[in-house]
Amino acid sequence: MTPFDLVEPPSLGEALKLLEPDDSAVRPLAGGTALMLLMKSGFFRPKRLVSLRAAGERLARIRIEPNGELRIGAMVRLAALEWAPEVRRDFPVIGHTLRTLANVRVRNVATLGGHLAHADPHSDLPPVLIALGACLVLAGPRGERAVPVEGFATGHYETVCKGDELIVEATIPPLGRRRAAYAKCTTRSADDWPALGIAVAWDDDGAIRSPRIVLGAATERPTRLKAAEALIAGRTLDGALLTRAGEAAAEEADVVADARGSVSYKKQLVKVYVARALRAAGAGPAAP
Amino acid sequence: MSATAKAGQIGRSLPRLEGRAKVTGRAEYIHNLRLPGMVHGKIFRSAVAHGRIRRVDTAAAKALSGVFAVVTSDDIRKVISNPYYGPAFHDQPILAIDKVRHVGEPVAVVLAEDPHVAEEAMRLIIAEYDELPAVTDEVEAMTSTVIVHDALKPAGIFPDLKHLEGRKGTNVALDFHLRRGDVKQAFAEATHVFEHTFRTQPVMHTPLEPMVSAAEPGDGTLTIHTASQSPSFVRMEVARLLGWPENRVRVKTAFLGGGFGAKLYIKLEALVAALALLARRPVKISLAMDEQFFTITKHPSTFRIKSAVDKDGRVTARECEVWWNGGAYADVGPRVTQKSGFTAAGPYDIDNVAIDSYALYTNRPPAGALRGFGIPQLVWAYESHTDMIARALGIDPVEFRRRNILRDGRPQATGTVMKDAAIDKVLDRLVQRLGWSRPFDRGQGSVKRGRGLAVGFKASIAPTTSVAILNLYADGSCGLYCSTVDMGQGSDTAMAQIAAEVLDIPAETVRVVHPDTDVTPYDMATLGSRSTYHMGHAVKRAAEDARVKIDALKADLGVPPGSNVPLAELFRRKYGMQAGNIVGVGSFVPSYASPDHDTGLTPNATPFWMVGGTGAEVEVDTETGHVRVARLINVADLGTPINPRIVETQLSGGAIMQLGFTMQERMEFADGQLLNPNLADYKIPGMRDLPARIESEAVDAVERGGPFGAKGVGETATFGVSPAIANAIDAAVGVRLTELPLTPEAVYRALRKAGR
Repeated sequence: MTPFDLVEPPSLGEALKLLEPDDSAVRPLAGGTALMLLMKSGFFRPKRLVSLRAAGERLARIRIEPNGELRIGAMVRLAALEWAPEVRRDFPVIGHTLRTLANVRVRNVATLGGHLAHADPHSDLPPVLIALGACLVLAGPRGERAVPVEGFATGHYETVCKGDELIVEATIPPLGRRRAAYAKCTTRSADDWPALGIAVAWDDDGAIRSPRIVLGAATERPTRLKAAEALIAGRTLDGALLTRAGEAAAEEADVVADARGSVSYKKQLVKVYVARALRAAGAGPAAP
Repeated sequence: MSATAKAGQIGRSLPRLEGRAKVTGRAEYIHNLRLPGMVHGKIFRSAVAHGRIRRVDTAAAKALSGVFAVVTSDDIRKVISNPYYGPAFHDQPILAIDKVRHVGEPVAVVLAEDPHVAEEAMRLIIAEYDELPAVTDEVEAMTSTVIVHDALKPAGIFPDLKHLEGRKGTNVALDFHLRRGDVKQAFAEATHVFEHTFRTQPVMHTPLEPMVSAAEPGDGTLTIHTASQSPSFVRMEVARLLGWPENRVRVKTAFLGGGFGAKLYIKLEALVAALALLARRPVKISLAMDEQFFTITKHPSTFRIKSAVDKDGRVTARECEVWWNGGAYADVGPRVTQKSGFTAAGPYDIDNVAIDSYALYTNRPPAGALRGFGIPQLVWAYESHTDMIARALGIDPVEFRRRNILRDGRPQATGTVMKDAAIDKVLDRLVQRLGWSRPFDRGQGSVKRGRGLAVGFKASIAPTTSVAILNLYADGSCGLYCSTVDMGQGSDTAMAQIAAEVLDIPAETVRVVHPDTDVTPYDMATLGSRSTYHMGHAVKRAAEDARVKIDALKADLGVPPGSNVPLAELFRRKYGMQAGNIVGVGSFVPSYASPDHDTGLTPNATPFWMVGGTGAEVEVDTETGHVRVARLINVADLGTPINPRIVETQLSGGAIMQLGFTMQERMEFADGQLLNPNLADYKIPGMRDLPARIESEAVDAVERGGPFGAKGVGETATFGVSPAIANAIDAAVGVRLTELPLTPEAVYRALRKAGR
């Protein structure tokens, strides 16, 4: 690792000014869990890191709005999110997902904004946030804009966030009558990056309404499995439907092979885990 | 407890002597060492698996501000004219000369006061190679036209390797053959013949403290501080390379953050020695985690095993062919090949045995000893094979083992008669703990349950020497000087207990002096579970020698023997003041007979046998192939435990390590490149990968040749883990895996192939 400048601007505005979108050696720094690995291996050699640690209260807080919407600042540590009582109460699927995300050392340091901005396709939270219909607030020199988490990542380590923009916070609509679950599968060790993660959510009025089935880790970027969603919409869960949904998901999922599994094996895992995630969501209590 | 232990120090679960220092961050590690004027070295490594070096351009690296020097093999030869090292073969250049033979081979070193500058400069080095075809598979290496070394260069330390000198046109570094009885005839007469082939994958030791060595030049002397398991060998080898007498080379170690065989013999020490002499200032090299994968690995292997069985389910003959992938440099691979060859046919009473074991050079990173010296690879094969035969014959696997088990008093494959090897007892205890005769829950739905067991054994590496010195100071306190390296296995505590038992003092009052070749006497190395037995004997003898001298002092002073006059008082009476020492010395080398070159037979293959067995209960998810080990039982014969609590952690630790090699670890190579030299992609077991229940037990046994009835334990629990789990998977879902690791995808594919 070679020497570089580390700056810690006292506000979001200052932070934005210190970014240089045309210079890839100037990057924002959140928890640093991904960035440090890239720096140690020599892949990334920064000139300047802009730490967001002091960039304002808005990036640091977790809040439930009066309408039940959850707002999570980009600099909230994953462990803080995992343990926040309001999140545990109103969005249990998030706490459940975080418990097996990487390991406790990573969760104590990594932040929500960094987790999303890094756009590693193996990340656990993006599929969950997409299933819940979450949005991100991005700030840049032209002001702020909201983008859905669905569509935020455009590929491996690529997002719609521009070089002069920063993630400020994530907003998640109230769960209401939505059921949700995340089922994840690792193939090399329990704390490995997932071979795949399946997030599911739907409105429950006795039948399945507005379902979302989102596949992460096995695809280039988190992907909604719309054929499987269409298959279960308006229906009630039973064994046959679970099997058919799994098969439809495996059929449509554009999975990629890596050290965690071949394409055919991952398709089998998609089939099994879509059914397991749906079953888990169906078995759990619907949100109040 | 052994009848000879009386003072209450043996069999005592004394907490580790260094425990407090470790948990409070005060324990000494070479990793933390800073020497005045020190420069850091960063190694530039080969990016190709096999190639002729056309050019190494160091100009840009040298020009970088803060760089002290950039060193290649041309520089090394200025201080060491023939810079090839190794324990069995002098085949490994300190830095690559003319050729590179594996990815990651050291080619050049940058020295700088700032390690970050050294690393930056390292990245500016450019090397060009004429790439050569590479051989990577151990079986292909037998007949490949790609030859890794032009000629074999045995080290000469081992007389039984001398015949290999100068052999050309081969990748076989050593071939071991054992012939016992009439194998051909037995196969001709057999009722059943079974033949299977098993493979193991490349894995790494993964000590969490990566290798680290520093050398400090003095006035015609050199001090090497190194995280080494074998300080005495390092001194010998560095002295040989330099052409110096041993007394000008001093080697010091500290605690090790794990070793497992990775830090054996000589690793970075020759390099830092040469660099320090060139730089004329201290040089330290601390490897990063990724560099360990290029330094030493565990032998991948292929094992073809064939058995003849008679109508009563007795194994009458066994043929074993084992190919060991030793990588580009022999390290201690030839010894692994030979010593493990002794027991390749398994712990069974078989009259007719043929064993052929080959150490192969390939263009892979070097392989050496890893917690078992080849035995886990062998047990994986022969205990899987055993279950497959039993299954095919419709005999219960426990019953089949009992019909064939090797008992004390019977000759083993080498002809050595078994003694103090509780193979049958280990099997019995596994069977009892598993409740083998009781009904077993086979699972339901998509999750099927099964159980399996396996028993393995190992001959200790022989003959090897240990020497210990026990120093009683003028106030009566005690220092124990031995070169056994405490790398986490608890040897300091065990040695203190042995000395204390003889002296009849509390073990925690014994001060264990860590290896320093200027201070502590010779020890072959801390390897192969040899320390408790060999160094234990030396320590016991040193303490007994001290007792004899105390008695002589008493006699000299007219104090009756058996009186309780404190030692300090004896010294005061002798010298008129607090002064003097009593120095007890002990050494130990066991008897041993080399195997006959042609038949591999010997009446005395080992000073003691290690016996380890594993029982496993698994749950197999038939939809995904995931295997959960619900219960892992380790049973071992380690004689009389010196420290039962430490023994238990050695057993569970060894089993967990082998669990990683069984279920998940694998170095992935593609196009000659290693894809996963990091802990993000090379997955060792974490807490959540461990079985819900891990049970460890030492059977009630005594090693009559050992100090206070004890023998080694470090490797024992690794033996049976892999086949016990594969056998349990077969019992659960009826599929047989013959290649490690047992990944979910491998299990799933086998299920699909079997139509389950």
